[in-house]
Order: sequence, then structure tokens, then C-alpha cells
Amino acid sequence: MRYDPPLHKTQGLAAIMIALAALLIYPLIFEATYFRHVIILAFVFAIVATSWDFSLGYGGLFNFSHVALFAVGIYTYAILAKTLGVPPWLAIVAGGGTAALVALLISIPVLRLDGIYVILVTIAFSQLIYFVVISWSSVTGGTSGMVTLPTLTIGEYRLSRDGRIGYYYVGLALLAANLLFLYLVTRSRLGRAAVALKDNKYYAIARGISEARTRSQTLMASAVFTGIAGAYYAAYLRVASPDAFGLGFLTLLLSILLVGGTGTIWGPVIAAFSISVLSEWLSGFGAWQNIVIAAAIILIVVFYPGGLWAAVQELREAVDTTRTAALARWRRGRQKAAREELTGAAERILTTAHGRIAVADTGDSEKPALLFLHGNSACKEAFYKQFRSLSDTHRIIAFDLPGHGVSDNGDPEITYNIAVYAEIAEAVLADCGVRRLGVFGWSLGGYVALELAARGNVEVTALAITGTSPLAVVPEDFGHGYNPNSHLVLAGKQYFSREETRNYANSATAPISQDSAFLHSNLKRTDGRARLYMITKLNVIDWPRQMRMLSDGKIPFAILNGSDDPFLNHAYIARLNYGNIWRGGPQDIPGGRHAPFFNKPDEFNLALYAFLSDAEKMSADTERQTAAGRTTTQ
Amino acid sequence: MSDVVLEVRGLSGGYEPTQIFRDVDLEVTAGESIGIFGPNGHGKTTFLKTLSGLIDPWAGDVFFTGMRLNREGQRGSRKWRNFNYDAVTRRRMDPKQIARAGLIHVPQGNLLFPELTVIETLAVAETAATDRRGWALDEIHALFPRVAERRNHKIRFLSGGERQMVSIAAGLIAAPRMLILDEPTLGLSPRIRQELCAAIRTVRETGLSIILIDQDVAFLEQIIDTLYLFDHGRISGRMERDEMPDHEALMVMLFGERH
Amino acid sequence: MDPETALAIFKGGIVLGALYALMATGLSLVWTTLGIFNFAHGAFIALGAYVAWQFSSSDAMALPILPAVFFTCFVMFAVGGIIYFLLVKPFERRADVVLIAVITTLAGSAIIENGLLLIWGPRAKQIQPFLSGELELAGIRLAMSEILLLCLVLIILLGIGLFLRYTRPGRAMRAVAQNRESAQLLGLDVPRLYAIAFGLSALTAGLAGSFVGTIRFMNPAMGAEPLMKALIVVIFGGVARFSSPIYAAFVIGLLEAFSIYAFGLYWAPAVLFFTMIVVLLVKPEGLFGRYQRTL
Repeated sequence: MRYDPPLHKTQGLAAIMIALAALLIYPLIFEATYFRHVIILAFVFAIVATSWDFSLGYGGLFNFSHVALFAVGIYTYAILAKTLGVPPWLAIVAGGGTAALVALLISIPVLRLDGIYVILVTIAFSQLIYFVVISWSSVTGGTSGMVTLPTLTIGEYRLSRDGRIGYYYVGLALLAANLLFLYLVTRSRLGRAAVALKDNKYYAIARGISEARTRSQTLMASAVFTGIAGAYYAAYLRVASPDAFGLGFLTLLLSILLVGGTGTIWGPVIAAFSISVLSEWLSGFGAWQNIVIAAAIILIVVFYPGGLWAAVQELREAVDTTRTAALARWRRGRQKAAREELTGAAERILTTAHGRIAVADTGDSEKPALLFLHGNSACKEAFYKQFRSLSDTHRIIAFDLPGHGVSDNGDPEITYNIAVYAEIAEAVLADCGVRRLGVFGWSLGGYVALELAARGNVEVTALAITGTSPLAVVPEDFGHGYNPNSHLVLAGKQYFSREETRNYANSATAPISQDSAFLHSNLKRTDGRARLYMITKLNVIDWPRQMRMLSDGKIPFAILNGSDDPFLNHAYIARLNYGNIWRGGPQDIPGGRHAPFFNKPDEFNLALYAFLSDAEKMSADTERQTAAGRTTTQ
Repeated sequence: MSDVVLEVRGLSGGYEPTQIFRDVDLEVTAGESIGIFGPNGHGKTTFLKTLSGLIDPWAGDVFFTGMRLNREGQRGSRKWRNFNYDAVTRRRMDPKQIARAGLIHVPQGNLLFPELTVIETLAVAETAATDRRGWALDEIHALFPRVAERRNHKIRFLSGGERQMVSIAAGLIAAPRMLILDEPTLGLSPRIRQELCAAIRTVRETGLSIILIDQDVAFLEQIIDTLYLFDHGRISGRMERDEMPDHEALMVMLFGERH
Repeated sequence: MDPETALAIFKGGIVLGALYALMATGLSLVWTTLGIFNFAHGAFIALGAYVAWQFSSSDAMALPILPAVFFTCFVMFAVGGIIYFLLVKPFERRADVVLIAVITTLAGSAIIENGLLLIWGPRAKQIQPFLSGELELAGIRLAMSEILLLCLVLIILLGIGLFLRYTRPGRAMRAVAQNRESAQLLGLDVPRLYAIAFGLSALTAGLAGSFVGTIRFMNPAMGAEPLMKALIVVIFGGVARFSSPIYAAFVIGLLEAFSIYAFGLYWAPAVLFFTMIVVLLVKPEGLFGRYQRTL
């Protein structure tokens, strides 16, 4: 199942509350009753379009009788409230009921059909309803419809006489109830089953989802508030006319749906308001009004098929990118001294082809060099404990990956993938004047380390990884190499809520403490696109080359995992084919978690040191052998 | 080299946003035939579809008989993730132009045109042969007697093998300078397989270059001069016919001992 | 029912069926070739009527009938091609092309209809019928306009049928309709063939419009009803083959004529639709349809 946190755990709730508050106080501030009317219509359209989005966008059912369900609501209200004298409020609720019943009827022929045939049959069905309404003129008033329908009242208070304030709030309440309903339904078993059927029908059926039941329930769920909205619409305008079946209304609703973005629920809400206001604004231009709106719809659907919802997402991304970039810039200047104190190494900014990269380098060029590569959403200071204890014997270099720490954000399409990270590592090493070195990579950094070694542009004398499962076939092995849990999903999630930030930092490094506070605060700086694109671009990496490198065994290689790493599938890692692995297999740091070098630094440093010395010996041996070989051939 | 017919340089592609194959280099000289061997699901078919222009390449160049098949210049940035770039960018390769240049692709499991008769299908295929002469109808009939027998039947009544033959026949009528055959013997009975194999050999002997994809090394050996190994979305090896190992050895080369 | 009434109803049904066939042919042609529904077909019909009026009316260019029809066809063919390149081609390769095509063609028809309003104004117009009077044939009275309609339908259906069967572009169109990918690989110019299909569809819509313009008053929204009728015919007949909606058109025409007689003018459509839903329940691919679409 896709990781899908509830609304109150994301930033979405705040936006909805602001919008709701604005709509609540709007009629209190602005007096113009005509514009209230426009907004009331927008409420109705939003309800109908979002409900339609549930069956069409989520369920993938091209149900073109949705507009007829709306008309069913209208006529239910008209007949019940006017002809039969049922109390209007009850008639509104009944509108939802009849619409759901009609939806059940419609679902019968639809159950056996797919794709375009659903469009055809539902069009036919709505035409049938239309002609029944037209023909049965003794009840429905035929082509002339029904007028002077009863208005809504609360006690003695008549909603038609208060400058539309009453209807405004009823409409708003219906819209809110409808959105809550759809939110709950999409997250329910039914909603998930509908999406599963749309995405992979046969697999879903094989997993025990009943197609017939899910389809009819989906149609009924999408009908309830459509019918209620129809009844409300009739109570508001006080007429019921067969125009509701017309192509004009279908066009309007379908364009709200598509301009908003299908399968999003919230997109059509935005589109309903935008299109209503735009159409109102253009209403003085006669025929040009419709031409301009139709042209705008075509332009949006053709050039920007994700619709307004996608635009909102892109806007959000732009804001987030600006924020993280500004944060990085600010920290680059202000907190440099604190960072240098932590690592004990000088920090400098290196300009590369992929933006400015912050490098920490202890700089003793006579000692053997050791490059540290940090993991997803971390920074070079994560290794400060290694900087402190290993810098006596080694020259330690670490840098912030693009989009992380105090490096620049990168171009997501180009920069945020493992191959380019390795390229940047090469640039950093070239700048440090290092051609021969040991490399340690953690998690995402582990893949960068493997890629760097496999590229072979620098001479890697020792290669160690932690928290990384080497991959042979992507994406299949990604599932094998890791224990699936929700925190792993966070690794590729673009935006973190506060809670997710805490969760991710906890499981990836350490629970918040004075020691690890900087890692938690660094997480807020990470460019969300770096996570997203790193995951989506996994398949551009030449994984077989990494595997060949590992099984060739030319480079001394060590795996130093935390024994309690919550992400790794240790059995998978142990099963792989390594040509030259230190001590014959992956070594566990007892009690270490995903970042053993951080929460078990002493044990880890000892192990790493031991590996580095062994690797040095090994490469000295190899060199002697090659030298010996050379002498014999001579 | 002047006698290079097909030159592929650094071709990469896939289905947005997933890259399927990358940096493929390939050279076929005049009269040479090559085979591509590799496991299923590793991007061979996507590569061929890109080569014949059905899918737009992401990067790289394709030259055919000295003519550039792709439009020059880089594939533009796709920075706005939700923008429909297909609506504004011209395609980098045009399947029509490629087919008319004589690079004819006979796709895998070709269903052809179910409601057209065999003879109508062959007539449609002539469209590509604008400035060259393709195979004549009686040559086709001599090559595939089964096709001749069933010329007035609709394609949908043909068996899989017959359909494959019509498919190749249509390719030959379209006046190919090079023929791409994607798993022509997939799912066929051994007898039909042999017939088809013999026919492809006959075609080969006329000097036509063939790019042949197949899972059967013994079949490949009869047709091709050079074998390319294709796995994980790239070409991982190249060998001449005389150094070709058997199927088992090839699989070991691709996947190691425990494939 | 005496035989004379039955014959009259039968004649009415055939004429109605011919009218429906005329409306549905273009829609069916686009569907079988491109696999999308062109909801601008009704607007094409209205546009055709106005263009024909512009060429033929004595208030406008006052051309004789044959050149007027010829120019109308020409204009409509071009319009169809242009509409294809503007409204369909840009997203042809997307997976949700069917749904997007519905909204772009609906929006396109809104543009055309409002454009008609802007250019020719809201005043109702009518094209002068160039034949009038009646003819009696074997006991059936046929208005000249009805004969014209039957001839028109016959010519169009024969013309398209022959075109598809015996000409190179026609054959190529059938090939593209049946397997786009294979057709591309053999070097067929798919966009051009699609544009031709759209053009032909618009051409038939234009002829339908010019005919409807002679028997009814024209207004910009006049296409909505024929569009619905055409959709119904295509749905009922089955969407798999170009020819099946044509049979369906006559079945529906006869059914409608008889149910008007049996149930009255008001209830006839509802009865018709009810029958249709029942048919679709039993045979969802349509009365004459198959699950695969072919031209």
C-alpha cells in the first residue's frame, strides 16, 4: 500500500483551515449578494465535480451519467417537496438517497464493461433518464420543468429572504461534509479497492477484491452527495428544468474536473471556484465568454494535463526549494565556525559543474586519504566522531551532497542521482589533489561509494559501506535488500511533516539529543527533490557494473552494518557474491543502528581502522606480487 | 568507414520518466547481419522501438546509409514536470521517414491488420517503397508458399507462424535496406520455426542486412555475423560468429554461475 | 394495423434511419480510425449548415447548388483536419487520450457554436431546398427532400465504402485503424491519415448539416440533438466497425417509427432507450459490434 499519512499529519490541514475560515467570514465582510450567488454555484459545482472525481479519477470508471445523477437530485427535491409536500430538508437528504439508488441501477449494465463502453452505456442511461423526465410530464412538468419549488426554512426563518446568506452557509456546510465524506471514503477499504482495480484490475481481483461490488459501491458513493447537491440546487434556484441534462452542464463539470486534475479531489474544488469566478468575470462579453473559457480549458488540458492541482504542487515545490536554498545560504555564512569546530577540519566551498559544494578536509596530504560519503538527508558533519578519532592517522575528506547540508540545491533532473553524486565526489577529490584513497559510504553514500569505485577514475584502495544493500537488479532488489516499513518510504518522500522529520531522523541516525540535534535540524534543510529524484532515478545507475566490481574483488571491501539496523535485510546482504570481502562477510557492529558510526562510534571506529590497516597490507601485498611478476617477466 | 550502413551512437531512451536503456553504440556494415541476445525485460524491444522511431530517444544519434535519422541537438530540458512536452516539442525521430529510408522493423508478436486480407496487407506495405523497388509479389510467394496459398484470407484467420511470415513479407515489400526482426520465432512450433528460419536465411543470402533478436542461439548462429549481448539496458559484449558460445555459456556470461 | 399504415410507418422509419445514418457516419469513422469520440461532431453539423447557407443563400453568395455543396465539402474537410491537429494530435500519445479528447472536443464545439453566433448572429435561417414537391412510388408518397436524403446517404456510404476498400489512402486508413504501430513501422503517415479521417468525418457532418438546414431552421446549437442521436446510433450499433452503426441507424429509425405509433410521440424515446439498455445488457458490444475496433 502506498504510504499515505492522514491529513492532520501533513501540511495540508493548515491550508484547508485557512480556506475554510476565509469562506466562513466572506459573506460577513462583503455585501454583494450577486457574488454570493456565484460562490453558491461554485459550491454546488465543487460537490458534483469532486464526487465525480471519486468514480472517474479514483475508480477509473468513465461514468458519464454523473450529471444525470445530479438531475435526479433536482427532480427528487422538486417532486417530494412540491408535489408530495415532504419537508424540504428531508427532501434534500432523499435527493442523495434516490441518486444512490439510480447509481445502483446504472451500475448493473456497467459491471460487465470496460473503458469506452462504460462511457457509451452511461451516456445511454442518462439519455433514458432524460427522456423519462421529458415524457412523464404529468409528474415532472416535461420540457417546461417545475417552478416555485418550496424554499428551505429554519423554523419560521426563510432562507430565500436573507440576501443568500443562509443558502451560502448551507452550501458551505454541504461542501465541507462532502469533502470529509470523500476524504474518508478514499482512505477506506472501498477507496483503496477502487484504486487497486483501476491500476491493475486482474491483480486486484486475484487478491480477492470483488469487481462488481466495488464498482457499484464506488458509483453509489459518488452519487450520494451529487444527489444532495442537486436537491440543494433545486431548493436554491426553486426550479427544476431538464436543462441539467444538457451538454452545457456536462461540459462545465467535466472541465472543472479536468482543469482541476483528476484523481485529486482537491483539484476540482479549486477549479470550481476558479472557473466560476472567471466565467462571472467574463460574463459581459457575450459569446466571447464561452469562447475564451473553452479555449482556456483546451490550453490547460493539452499543455498542462495535471491541471490546477499539479500547478499547486509545483508552486509548493518552488516555495520549498527557495526555502531550503535560503536556509543553506544562511547557514553557510553564519554557522561555519560551529561546523569547523565540530569536525576540526577546515570547510571550503568548491564550485563544480553541479553548483557549489561544501567540503571539509583535514588537509594533511602526506597521510592516506579517506573520503566519507553521507546518507540521504544528512550532512558531512554526521561523521564528526570519525573526523576526531581518525584524523591522526588519515587525511579525512567529506562533503555535503547537492541539496544537503550547506551545498547548493541542484537541478533535480540532472543532479540528484547517484551517478552524478559520484561525479561530484571525483571533482572534490581532484580539487583536493587526491588520486588514491579509501572510501567509506553510509546508506545513500554507500551507493555513491560503490559507484565511485566502479567508475574507476580514482584509485580506491579500500571500500567500506554501512547501511547499504548492494543492488543487482533494480528495482526488484530494492525490495529484497531492505525491510519494507514506512520509514523506508520516507527516504523517497519529497515533503516531511514535523512528525515525519522526527521519525526519519530518529530511525536514520539517532533520537534527538544535544549530540544529534544538528542532524535533526539539517533534515529541514534538505531539498525534498533530492529524496524524490534520487529514488525515481535509481534505474539510470549502472548497477551491474557495481556488482561486477564487487564480485571481481580487486578492491578490498568491507560491510560494517549496525546489528540492529531497522532498514536492512541482513540475510540478503550476506547472500551476495563478493570477491574480496573483509573477514569473509558483512561485519555487524553490536548494538549499532542505521548509523553505527554515530551511535556506536568507538566500536565502529575500531572496526573501520582495522579494516583500513588490513586493506593497506593487502594492497601492499598485491603491489609486491605485481612487482614480482614484473621482475619475472623481465 | 564508408561501408557502415547503420551507426548508433550513445542512444538512450525509455518511457518517461523511466529510462530503459542507455548509451548503446552499434555499427552495422554493408551486408553484415547482427544478432542481439539478452534476457527478457532488459530493454531490447524498447531499444528497437526507439531505433525505428516509435519511441522518442532521450539522447544519442542514429545514422543510416549516411543519413541522420534523428533531429540534431539535445533533447530539451523537461523541467516542468507537469507540462505536456509532447504537445510542443517535435519528435526527434519520425517512424515514417525511417521506414521510407529502408530501415524496416518487424516487431515482436506482430498482429498486423486483423481485418485486412494478406494481399491487401502487402499492398499497404508498398507505401514505404517510394523511391526504391521492394520485393515483387511472386518473389514473396516463392519465399513463403504458405503466404501465397492464403493470400485472400484475412489476417485474423491466420496462424501465428503465417502471420509472422506475412509480417516479414510486408517488411520485404517495403523495400528494406535493413530488416529488424524482433523474436520472429517466438511461440512457434518447431516445424514452422524451421520453415521461417530457412526463409530468413534465403533473405540473408540476397545480401540484405538483418538485425535479429532471438533467444535461440543455434538459430542466431545460422544467420548472423556478429552477436551483441544486451542486458540491463546496455550492450555488454560483442563477439564474432566463430567465437559464439552455446546458450548455457552465454547465460553464465550474463548472470554469473547462479543465474 | 392495416398494411397501408404499416407501409407508411416503415417508410417513415427508413427515412429517419437514413437521417440518423447520415449523422452517425462521420462519428463512427473517427471512432473506428482514432479510437476517440468526437463530441464536436454536432458543432460540425451546425457549421456545415451555416457554411452551406453562406454559399447558397440568396442573402449571401448565392451560388448554384452544386458548387455550393462542393465548396461546403471542401471547407468542412479542411476544418476537420485543422481540428484534428489542434485538439487531438497534441496528446495523442497519452494514456488517457479518450477522456482528454472528450473534453477538448466538447470545448472545441463550444468555440465553434459561439463562433457561429458571433459570425452569423442568432437569427434563425433556413437553406432553400432546391427540390420540392412529392413523388408517388408504388403507393408510397415520398417528399422530394426525403428522396434527396436517401440518395445522399446512399452516395456517402457507397463513397466511403469504396474509398476504404479500393483506394490506397483508404486501405492505409484501415491499416492504421487496426494496428497503428505496425502501420507506422511500414512507413504510413499516421497523422496525415488521421487528419483525412477527421476531414472526411467533418465532410459528412457538413452534408448532414446542409441537409438538416433545408428541412429545419438553423441555429448555432442545432448540432446538439443530432450529436446525441449519432452517439446513440453508434452505441447501439456497436463501436467495433465502421458499418455497424449504419445498420443500427435503420434499426433505430424503424423502432422509433413503430414506437411512436404504438406509444405516442412523447414516450417513444424513452421506450427506445429502454430497449437499447436491455440490448446492451445482453450484448454490451452493441447490436452489430465486436469487441475489437476495426475499420
